[in-house]
Amino acid sequence: MNLPDRALSVLVAALGGEGGGVMADWLMDAATQCDFPAQATSIPGVAQRTGATTYYLEIFPAKRSTLGGREPVMSLTPSPGNVDVMVASELIEAARAMQNGYVSPERTLLIASTHRVYATTEKMQMGDGRFDSARALEAAQQLAKRAILGDLRELAQKSGTVINAVLFGAIAGSGALPLPREACEAAIRKTGKGAQASLKGFAAGFDLATSGVGAEMQEKPSPPTAQDIIDLGVARLRDYQGKAYAQLYLERLKSLRADPRLLAEVARHLAVWMSYEDVIRVADLKTRASRFARVRREAGASKGEPVIVIDFLKPGIEEFASILPHALGARLLAWAGRRGTLDSYNVEMHIKTSSVPGYLLMRSLAWLKPWRPYSHRYREEQRRIERWLGAVAEAAPRSAALALEIAECARLLKGYGETRRRGLASFLAIFDALVDNPPTADAAELAAAIRKAREAALADPEGEKLKQSLGKPVVWLSKAS
Amino acid sequence: MGEGETFRGEGILAVTKALLQSGVAYVGGYQGAPVSHLLDVMVQAREYMDELGVHVEACTNEASAAAMLGASIAYPMRGAVTWKSIVGTNVASDALSYLSTAGVMGGALIIAGEDYGEGASVALERTHAIALKSSMWLLDPRPNLPSIVRMVEKGFELSEATHSPVILELRIRACHVRGEFRASDNRAPAISTRRLLEDPAAFDYDRLSHPPATFRQEKLKAEVRLPAARRFVAAHRLNECFEGELANVGVIVQGGLYNNLLRALQGLGLASPFGATRVPILCLNVTYPLVPEEILAFCRSRSAVIVVEEGQPEFIEQDVATILRRGGAHARLHGKDLLQLAGEYTVEVLVRGLVRFLREHAPRVEIGAAEQWFSSVESVRKKASAILGGMLPPRPPGFCVGCPERPVFAALKLASREAGRPHISTDIGCHSFATFEPFSMGNSILGYGMSLASSAAVSPVMARRPLAIMGDGGFWHNGLLSGIASRLLNRGDGVLVIMKNGYASATGTQDLLSSPKNADRSIEGTLAGMGVGWIRTVDNYGVGEVAKTLKEAMTTDYRGLKVIIAEGECMLEQQRRLRPQVAEKLKEGKRHVRVRYGVDEDTCTGDHSCIRLSGCPALTIKDSPDPLRRDPVATVIEGCVGCGLCGENAHAATLCPSFYRAEVIQNPSLWDKAWNVLRQAVLPL
Repeated sequence: MNLPDRALSVLVAALGGEGGGVMADWLMDAATQCDFPAQATSIPGVAQRTGATTYYLEIFPAKRSTLGGREPVMSLTPSPGNVDVMVASELIEAARAMQNGYVSPERTLLIASTHRVYATTEKMQMGDGRFDSARALEAAQQLAKRAILGDLRELAQKSGTVINAVLFGAIAGSGALPLPREACEAAIRKTGKGAQASLKGFAAGFDLATSGVGAEMQEKPSPPTAQDIIDLGVARLRDYQGKAYAQLYLERLKSLRADPRLLAEVARHLAVWMSYEDVIRVADLKTRASRFARVRREAGASKGEPVIVIDFLKPGIEEFASILPHALGARLLAWAGRRGTLDSYNVEMHIKTSSVPGYLLMRSLAWLKPWRPYSHRYREEQRRIERWLGAVAEAAPRSAALALEIAECARLLKGYGETRRRGLASFLAIFDALVDNPPTADAAELAAAIRKAREAALADPEGEKLKQSLGKPVVWLSKAS
Repeated sequence: MGEGETFRGEGILAVTKALLQSGVAYVGGYQGAPVSHLLDVMVQAREYMDELGVHVEACTNEASAAAMLGASIAYPMRGAVTWKSIVGTNVASDALSYLSTAGVMGGALIIAGEDYGEGASVALERTHAIALKSSMWLLDPRPNLPSIVRMVEKGFELSEATHSPVILELRIRACHVRGEFRASDNRAPAISTRRLLEDPAAFDYDRLSHPPATFRQEKLKAEVRLPAARRFVAAHRLNECFEGELANVGVIVQGGLYNNLLRALQGLGLASPFGATRVPILCLNVTYPLVPEEILAFCRSRSAVIVVEEGQPEFIEQDVATILRRGGAHARLHGKDLLQLAGEYTVEVLVRGLVRFLREHAPRVEIGAAEQWFSSVESVRKKASAILGGMLPPRPPGFCVGCPERPVFAALKLASREAGRPHISTDIGCHSFATFEPFSMGNSILGYGMSLASSAAVSPVMARRPLAIMGDGGFWHNGLLSGIASRLLNRGDGVLVIMKNGYASATGTQDLLSSPKNADRSIEGTLAGMGVGWIRTVDNYGVGEVAKTLKEAMTTDYRGLKVIIAEGECMLEQQRRLRPQVAEKLKEGKRHVRVRYGVDEDTCTGDHSCIRLSGCPALTIKDSPDPLRRDPVATVIEGCVGCGLCGENAHAATLCPSFYRAEVIQNPSLWDKAWNVLRQAVLPL
């Protein structure tokens, strides 16, 4: 009889703790039930601790009884171009497999979950360091002979199980391996603990593979227009400080109406900046009913389970000064700045916001809202906003691109305490070095320099890259503020 | 499991079974991937081992494991020890030199987990070198369970026939390979904890590796044991020859690489899935010593052979070259000239080498398929890179969710901001994950327990006081003597942080002398007894306090060794213990407070400074729900174990007010419910 000329190979790329080993066991068991010679191996090592890890299996698709005592020799390492089923439990791990050549257009079925588990290097950047998922999805569509893509983690969560069961179901449902559903399910049943949930997850994966539904390529919503953003901004600032403040927002945008793209960007940044997070704002946001509902949801509290919410606050001189009248606040900050004691008098507070006294303490801060326009911080922020807006408006007639780059610098202003001071220092350093004292008369060159400096500041909040980009040190707490 | 039954499982468990089938009397070792499992299983099955009379010992390091084999010098007992190689073999090598010099009476087998290639976590070196220098025979079986099991059994016989220790080398993937073999009955050892020896061996100077006996033993190694080993290998046909029709060429391969070689040949259309090959193969299941007659017999009639040998230097190839030259064989010899010098020999690497070999020596063999394969792989990779457009984010291993070591590095980052960045000598263990983002800390790694010792010459020349970090695993493995005792003897200055998580966690949470179950033995007591005058114990999760203590150690005027014991139980182990307890409690309807941390998405500005201080897998990012903000915001996802680091960091570093702690009261009491009703009446909850 004609025997197959090669084994079928399965490469699984997973993250530590996703049950890849258990899935390899299931596959082995199902193959054994079918009397197919099979082999599995893995590189777990220390990767069990949340790192990337791989499992590799080969299944010889002929019953042992037909082999006349011969035993196929199976490889322990996958080779590019020779993988029949590539399984990835996460999108970037699928991309990694593709980059290594394991997904071949002639041979490979790719089963991948489209959800993201962000790597530390993606998460830690000041801006947005995330890898573009759309690229990985496109590669999957283009490189695989066939691709089964979907948010398998979500399916797992819905089934109350781990992603390995869903992946196993998708493998079985794909028909790429000669393993009947019954054998696969029997393998799961043998594991005993959690078998019911696993079977549910298996069925979800199986259905996904058989229904032929591809990745729910999320339709990107069309970007909001400038007017959409302005409407959002007005609503936000009304909530923040009232009608007059929202009116001020509209006033400030008036001179930029000519260029819709610039207008949209400035409107976005301006709304965020004008609703800066001082203690009043934080206290307000933390005492809203919507917030308590969200906490309940995130904590996964069931109905009838009381949830106690404790907030971690550590206000210090800066926070105190920010709500003082301008003259006092400025003097206090200058004094502390001189002595280097800005962070020395912070008070660690654990406020039980869900209790009556804790709530009232928080709410009493929020009630300071009418006082805000007289505070030191308000005055400082408005002054900087004007400076920024002035620069944008001045650049706009010269070059829209330059104006846009200047506007984008507002992205550096975020965070609290020291993080905010660093961002502000970067912002001011860029303004001093490039906006107020432009090293070049060429608008395009200047725009590029600003972009480079801003990206350097976002990628490395410690300021080293920005320093290199500007060719001079970034002084935190610059006097020019 | 007895005669005739089918064993199904991992390679390393098959070895465990094979040891028992061989009548092993004692087993020892030190844990480490990929062989941890061997010892763990034996330790867990202590009762059964007692029944058989097998003594099992979890040694404190590989040197103590190797020294255990000393029992086989004077008594006909079979013993096996295991560790991760090359590192473990290095630590063991002093005892191994003496063991192999004295020679053994009972079979002595070392199971070395060869941690080489993808997934390796140690310096990449070959165990082969140590086998050569100490005249220990090296087995490298084909990576299938029947071969591995046979070589364990034959290994003991070889050891006894030649009075030499034998190393069985298993690569990572071979340790984890899942397959099956026909088992036989376990054999109770003749001398055992159940069948005691009445008297010690008679005094025999020749069994001591001590001059003048050592001079005789050196001769024995070369003149008696080596020839005996060659005879045994040949007589028992431990190496395998697979003939093929392309008779003027041949491949000599390490047994462990045989499967990949076969797959490579299959890719070239030169082999069947069942191992029938057109290119003759000599498969070396014993890579030291080689049997000159076997090598000559294989090579004599051929015009060229290639040695397929992983890692460098190419010991086998050199050995073969000597044999061919001495034997007057004229076959051209290839190996590392055509194959890559260093790194794992994957199928792709082998195909590339074989193509070069065959093109030169078998030009008429059709290998066009390989060319096509190379070009299609190349084009797929190029296309993938083009679409993906740039580097993918790396995903190295890291601290687990809630790991007690993470807060110490957060504290160190904060302390460094104030006291200045110190030189940090780091060590082997989970804490070495701090070398990755977001901490990126460490100036050197010199081996397990070596961190303090490795800063001995840095300390005196550094204006700012350096810091050494060590785990409690490393402390008991080696650090106590190599680092601390040495520093005390020299009255040196310095700071040592000992991560006391209670277990050898990186290798699978094995017990230590200071583990919770050995509560009467403490690291503090040991240090105090040795005369360390400055010891502070800190609770890791109190980031502010830890930072303060670190700063104090880094700047105090106190001269001498300062030790900070950073205490926090391994979260894996803690969760393993607590989870069933909590489940039980909930099932019984008892009140339980589940703690979880979170980030308020509307006050988070998306600066991610919290992540730069943590790197916890459960603290991640998501799209900002605020349409006016583009950068992602921080979020705590499911999997949070409520360790509290987020909140501590927010306080210690004065980060931001967005973190909250939610306490979900499960199975609330009447009192809880009443309070809740009351609060809900007053507050917008």
